[in-house]
This record gives sequence, C-alpha cells and structure tokens, in this order.
Amino acid sequence: MVCKMAMFMDLNVNFTKDKKTLQNIIETAAHLGYSTVAINYTLESQQKKPEIPKPTSISDLFTKLPVVQGRSRPIRVLSRLTVVATDPSHFRPNAEYKAFDLVAVFPKTEKLFHAACMTFEVDIICVTVTEKQPFHFKRAPVNGAIDRGVFFEIVYTPAIRDSTMRRYTIGNSLGLMETCKGKGVILSSGAEKPLELRGPYDIANLGLVFGLSEGDAKAAVSTNCRSVVLNGETRTTAFGIIRTMKKPPPAPTASEEDKSEERENSAAKRAKMEH
Amino acid sequence: MVRFKSRYLLCEVCVEDRSSLLLLEERAIFHAVKTAVARSHGDYGAALLILSFAVKYVNAHTGIILIRCRKSHYRILWSALPFISCLENRGQKVQCLISCLHVGGTIRTCQKFLVKYSTQQLHRMLPHCKNEAERDEVRRAVLSCSLEKERDVEEEEEVEEDDWEDE
Repeated sequence: MVCKMAMFMDLNVNFTKDKKTLQNIIETAAHLGYSTVAINYTLESQQKKPEIPKPTSISDLFTKLPVVQGRSRPIRVLSRLTVVATDPSHFRPNAEYKAFDLVAVFPKTEKLFHAACMTFEVDIICVTVTEKQPFHFKRAPVNGAIDRGVFFEIVYTPAIRDSTMRRYTIGNSLGLMETCKGKGVILSSGAEKPLELRGPYDIANLGLVFGLSEGDAKAAVSTNCRSVVLNGETRTTAFGIIRTMKKPPPAPTASEEDKSEERENSAAKRAKMEH
Repeated sequence: MVRFKSRYLLCEVCVEDRSSLLLLEERAIFHAVKTAVARSHGDYGAALLILSFAVKYVNAHTGIILIRCRKSHYRILWSALPFISCLENRGQKVQCLISCLHVGGTIRTCQKFLVKYSTQQLHRMLPHCKNEAERDEVRRAVLSCSLEKERDVEEEEEVEEDDWEDE
C-alpha cells in the first residue's frame, strides 16, 4: 500500500556544518518515505569574493545509509548548488558547478528570470517565497523553461515557520500557477531541522492549497523530481549519450558501483527519449 | 448503507525525543488540529470541523493517531496538518511533525494498514539491534504481530513491488 506510487524525492535539504543535524534530517526523510534527497549548498553572490562550496561526500556522513520506508533500498543522497543571482555576472557555469548533481538558480530580477528560463544551464529555478514576488511571471519565459525541461521550485518550510511567509508562499505560487498551469513545478522542503520535513503525501495534498491540481501535485513530489535528477545527470554528458569519467579506483565499494551503474542506465534512457 | 460518510486519517507524530511522546493526549491533538485549521482556513474551516471531527485513537507509545472527519471536507483538514509544528500539553510544548500514513473510509481498513505498517517498523528496527537478546525480542515481536493471513498479503505485495522496480 505504501509505495504503489513513484518514488518521492526532496530536492532541497539545507546544508549545515553540524553533521549530527544533517544525519538526523536524512534519517527522518528516509523514515517519511523519501527515496532521494539533495543537500543544498547556497552560493550568495552579493559578497565580494563568492566561494563555491565543495560538496561533502556521503561516506563522511554515513557509514551505512538509512533504508527508505517501505522499500529495501538505502536512501540516495545528491548534492545541489543554488546560485543566488542579482546580476547576470553572478551565474558563471564552470568546472566547480560540475561537482554537484543539480544546479539551481535563484533569480532576483525579471531580466535574470528571463535569462534563467531561456538560456542558463540549470535544472531548477527557485521562486521567491519569503517576500512578495517583485515581478510578474510572463508566459514566454515560463513556457520556454517548461519546454527546456527546467523546473520551478516552491519551498514549503518558510510557510510552516511563519504565517506571513505562508501568505507570500501561497500568493506567489498561485501567481506562478496562473502562468504555468501546474506544469513544471516541484515542491521541496528547504529544511534546516529534521522536524521541518513533512511526509510526501501531506505535501502532495498541500499542493492543492498552492493551486496545483491533484495529479500535478503528486507529480510535483515524484515524477517531476525524477526528471530534474535525470536532467542533472545529462548536464555532465554530451547530449545525454556519451559520458566520460575517470577510471574508478581498483577496488570500488558496492555502493559506488551501484551508483555509476544507475547513472549509465538513466543516461541510456534519456538518450532513448531524445530519439 | 451509511448515512454519513467519513474519512479517517491515520497519522504518525514524530518527535525528536521518543520519551516526550508519552505526553501525547487526545485533548492536545484535538486542540492543535482545531487551531491549525482555523489558522489556515479561517472561520470556514473551523465551522467544518464542528461536524463530526474527532480524535478516535491515540497511541502514546508509537505516536499513532486516528482522526475522523466528514468525507466531503477531509482535504481541508489534511492541508492544515503540515502546519502543526508543536503540540502543547499541560504547559509543555513539544516540537513535532505530523505525517499522514493512510486515509481510509473505515476504522477497519485503517487498522489493517496499521498492523502492516507496525510490522514494517519492527523489520526496520531489526538491523539496529545491538546484541542478540534484543534481536530475538524484536523477532518474536515481528512474529507475534503478523497474522498468518497478513503475512501472505505482504509477500504478494513485495513481489509486486519488485516487478515494478525492474521496469
């Protein structure tokens, strides 16, 4: 009964230096039934010299990953970089971005939003939830983003923390839904504490409040997230067909082997889809 | 034929410290849910809860609760549940999260689901045991709570799930 649906994913768990908290969050996510989480590193570009963080390896966090509720597989942990951009120069795709499984951009102005939708090499575009949206969502860039397979992300943790934020979250997401008609949206937590996560079914239901239809809300926590992850994987490949990688060390551990195998599979799938 | 159709939400309360679960009480949950609905859906939401809203079952040891409401409005109640972040009882505030496990039309289906879910929890606990005595105890608990029939159903489902994963 538990897992007849596609796998649930939460693609935004904030990185904290405190390892214990991070472990707790991931354990809670596994308990709630999420099969994939992404640890989010934020790159604030307002500072003079932005330093791109390095993703911590999973083996540092866990010796044995917790098993997902209702499944026999361990949870999958990805890394994600969010670039907060107020100026076009802030988003510079380079080799450091490639260390992350997913790249997201948080555009603060309309011009940047347009650029992010149409040209930037990203997987996710974040939507403001903590203040009033400073610009209207225009149909052209939003449709462009959906066609390119870039997804819009709505974070629900601020809505849980505070009633004013809740108004902004619901208002802004309703504004987005007017333009995108519920397509190309993902819902994720942005949790900093383990108790800020919510169950996937609860979030699918919460999507109704955010203006999504029932099917779209379910897709927003499952299938859409899957497309985002696959999109992120193909970013490191050439058209999703060829992938170069370093020769693995002589004795790879079982988990690493699994992962590379999974990647190859999905790259193959993607290639098929494109043909 | 039933005159009024209800929906039962089977939820789990997660807290950081398991011992604080023992504070869980029917009244506290009733109050917390009511305020959450009133806060997120206003007077309209609060009015809907006057009809047939009740907390039917609370298990303070496992943190399982069962909430009943009318079938026509259960989504309004459900959409307010994620906004509950703490429960208050006798002046003590406990940070928590409520996640919905199952939505059923009768208490019976919820109970069936709960038996299966609890068995699954015991299975999950098994690898965390520190010594052999603990492990034996969990094993015995697993066997005692799964009826013969239930086990068959579960096995079937596992097979189905494997098929699905292969695709």
